[in-house]
Amino acid sequence: MKYRNPHIPEGINVTKRHPLKELLILLGGALLLIVALSWVFAEFGGGLARLIPFEYEQALVPDALLSSDADSELDVYLTQLSERLQKHMAIPEEIAIKVHFSGDDVFNAFATLGGNVLLYRGLVEQLPHENALSMLLAHEIAHVVHRDPIVGVGRGVGIQIVLSTMLGNPDLNVLGNAGLYTQLYFNRDMERAADAAALGAVHGLYGHVGGAKALFEVIKAERDRMGDGELPAMFSSHPLDQQRLDAIEEMARDNAWAGSGAITPLPAAFADWLKTAALRTESGRNTGNTH
Amino acid sequence: MIELGIFLALLTLGYGFGQYAERRHYRSIIEREKRLNALPAIAARFPPTEPQHHQALVIGSTVISVDYFKRFLAALRNLFGGRVTAYESLLDRARRESSLRMKQQAETLGAEMVFNVKYETASISKGRGNTIGSIEVLAYGTALIRPQAADTDR
Repeated sequence: MKYRNPHIPEGINVTKRHPLKELLILLGGALLLIVALSWVFAEFGGGLARLIPFEYEQALVPDALLSSDADSELDVYLTQLSERLQKHMAIPEEIAIKVHFSGDDVFNAFATLGGNVLLYRGLVEQLPHENALSMLLAHEIAHVVHRDPIVGVGRGVGIQIVLSTMLGNPDLNVLGNAGLYTQLYFNRDMERAADAAALGAVHGLYGHVGGAKALFEVIKAERDRMGDGELPAMFSSHPLDQQRLDAIEEMARDNAWAGSGAITPLPAAFADWLKTAALRTESGRNTGNTH
Repeated sequence: MIELGIFLALLTLGYGFGQYAERRHYRSIIEREKRLNALPAIAARFPPTEPQHHQALVIGSTVISVDYFKRFLAALRNLFGGRVTAYESLLDRARRESSLRMKQQAETLGAEMVFNVKYETASISKGRGNTIGSIEVLAYGTALIRPQAADTDR
């Protein structure tokens, strides 16, 4: 008997397909699937969350979590301003807004579950006049009215369900970004809607929309100062500052709202109120209290 | 953003180095296979009875690891199912390399051929989930050495 190993041609045990071609097909398919499923689940989760009664939402947030650093004068002023703005917004009966103020030097303001709006001194102290403050406050109130905080939670849960089901393999975690960008896309819609509602309220209160733009100019200036510039639109939860400014101008034009008018200054003691709030935050921190 | 950058860098590096290593490895495998073709490796269990050969166990073992690119591609494949082509060439290389190492051992013993050749694989990453992707491919067989060749060796 003759024993030998014949020469076996190459490529029998290996599929001849270019790895990059395979990557392109698989990655494209996976991204499409994630975005599509995230979209569907986000819509579904957000829709379900919208059905949660506002009082249930209120019960979720303990008051202690959002205590205010504002002294009574600032508190009264902010509450009154909020109420004046609410008269010019379509606020459903069951919704109640609570405005809180933090003395922290944080450049931010947000609306969260249960109709709670939190303004930070870091942002508020840079606003030049009441009109800009009203635009900020009305924007956050609009988020509450649109039920954005709870809808955002619902959408987030929907998207997380998709991501955790599809991406059990840690090697694929990076694809989770596709789901998160889907979420950002929804967020930008929310911001645009809140801007529009806020501008309407500012017009209703002052009879013109002059000064509302100042809010976005302050935000833009802060971003320039921080030096991180603007992220590409795709990666940012808010529409670009310039786009927001343009949208505001367009809306004012479409509604034939006066673009300028008498600017209402902030109360004379406003700066002092902010200082008091800052001191309160400081002392609260020193005694170990958190708020 | 940074995460995405790191991911792309790893993917590119994995692809670049992985492809380079694979091409080089295949060149070397094909060349050595030609050279060692004179020494057959046979799967049959019963060796020729005449002449009476000396016998020796010869083994060849290769441990091979997956590059980032291939691992990502295979993970994507897991979503859709189908042939994991990314791993096919990897395992093909490991099998052939092990076989070559086994034959090389047989050659140093002055063997004529290797009989009863078997392959085994073991995953080194057992229980470690997806952290490491290394496997061992083991080839072993019985080297048959002509009596006079073995005698002159000693």
